[in-house]
Amino acid sequence: MMAKEKGKKDSRPLMNILHEVQEKHGYISEHMLKQIAVEQDIPIARLYGVVKFYTMFHTEPQGKYVIEICGSPSCVLNNGVRLEKFLEQEIGAGIGETSKDGLFSLYKVSCIGCCDEAPAMLINGEAHTKMTVERLKLLLKKLRETEAKQAEAKKK
Amino acid sequence: MRQTKLEALEKARALGPEGTIALLEKRKLEGRGGAAYPTAKKWKTCRDAPADERFVVCNADEGEPGTFKDKLIIRHNAETLVEGILIAAYAVGAKRCFIYLRGEYDYLRPRLREQIDDVLARAKMEGVTIEIVRGAGAYICGEATALLQSIMGFRGNAMCKPPNPTTCGLWGKPTVINNVETLACAAQAVLFEDWDPTLRLFSISGNVKNPGVYEFPLGVKMSTIIDVARPEKKLKAMSFGCFGGIMPVDENMQVTPETICMEKCQHGAYSIIFIDETNNVVDVAYSIAKFYTYESCGKCTPCREGTIRMLNLLKKVRMGKAVKKDLELMRELATHVQDTALCGLGQTCGNHILTSLQHFPKDYEAYMKK
Repeated sequence: MMAKEKGKKDSRPLMNILHEVQEKHGYISEHMLKQIAVEQDIPIARLYGVVKFYTMFHTEPQGKYVIEICGSPSCVLNNGVRLEKFLEQEIGAGIGETSKDGLFSLYKVSCIGCCDEAPAMLINGEAHTKMTVERLKLLLKKLRETEAKQAEAKKK
Repeated sequence: MRQTKLEALEKARALGPEGTIALLEKRKLEGRGGAAYPTAKKWKTCRDAPADERFVVCNADEGEPGTFKDKLIIRHNAETLVEGILIAAYAVGAKRCFIYLRGEYDYLRPRLREQIDDVLARAKMEGVTIEIVRGAGAYICGEATALLQSIMGFRGNAMCKPPNPTTCGLWGKPTVINNVETLACAAQAVLFEDWDPTLRLFSISGNVKNPGVYEFPLGVKMSTIIDVARPEKKLKAMSFGCFGGIMPVDENMQVTPETICMEKCQHGAYSIIFIDETNNVVDVAYSIAKFYTYESCGKCTPCREGTIRMLNLLKKVRMGKAVKKDLELMRELATHVQDTALCGLGQTCGNHILTSLQHFPKDYEAYMKK
């Protein structure tokens, strides 16, 4: 029955609207949920259910860099677990957590379709493939330096 | 995979909708998403269903671990894919088309959008639009009914069939859902006289030097695939995606749906993950079990609860705390979940356990002795 419901005010798919809101604000806040619910004429409970169903939508503030490690067998067979442990240590946050400095959020996802270039991870939606601990170290260092520079520039 | 440069669409228009469907039937095009349903039959059912509006959906939610052929097509042959979508739209009489692109491939989206607009401008099909719907990390949305729910803005829960989407899909209207490879093949099948229906894209990964996408005909010998993939060490097992189960490597095996299915393995989308002798199969089974627990949509009880129990049992095995009875329980549980689950995910989510228990008891023993 629900499938036949037509209640769409905006002709764009709800999934795309949610993605855009999250891209703009970093996450989908309660305030935004209420706004979308009114605009789209959807009960807020149903909307919340949709947001919570999809792992890529977040209802809590996220780190500036969202890291999604691939957990597929191909990545596991190619040292993916070692990277995971290294990342947890390096940023000081476990899977599903955000680092204290607010820079990194860590997630483990099913498969990002980069099995031919395993092990792989997504950082803010961009694929980083054939990762090693060394490359990851360099990458994190670079990201941190950029952030430090930006913070300094802001102070001035 | 060949380029069709909009000539296939031209030919389809010359043949007319019915002529195009008849041609695809003659060319024996089958769906490449895993179920191998004849594409012409699907399109015909949709076309014949009485309705004022019809839809075409391209399933680009390629979530099966070890599968990445659709990504390759979207990256390097998007034009042919879009042409396939337009041919489908023309054949069934649809105006609105959707591409459901998985969230993990979002970085492909800007380029894909450009190419869609380019092809649409050149094709000059009046009133036909192609929208990209962005997935958000739910494997189950690759299942047709769940995918439609997601496009309509709902949780991606699988639905009971019938009605099939072909007659009652998006907003209750007849909807054709085809996988990326199928649609790209449709364009080629229409255009090329010498198009070979047995060619399949194989995604090869795991413990090999040359992972990647390769095109082989059905019936190819496993040894040929292994030669191309070039493993560094002796191979022990191969996993057909996640849901296909884990099998011992048999170099003489000819890869066809029949030979694989006979061994109770699913061919899926022809993705093979090779596992060499330095790895324990239980570890692979554990990562697959984790995947299913994470991705079960939670609608039906056997799958929601069963996947967690199977994962816990495997955890127990890996901790060295399992006894023989636990393995029996695992086997029983996997069989029950497969028999009672609602959709394809649940019906296959015990394969890795059943096959690994059957073929690799030594790997389990290695953990149990500790």
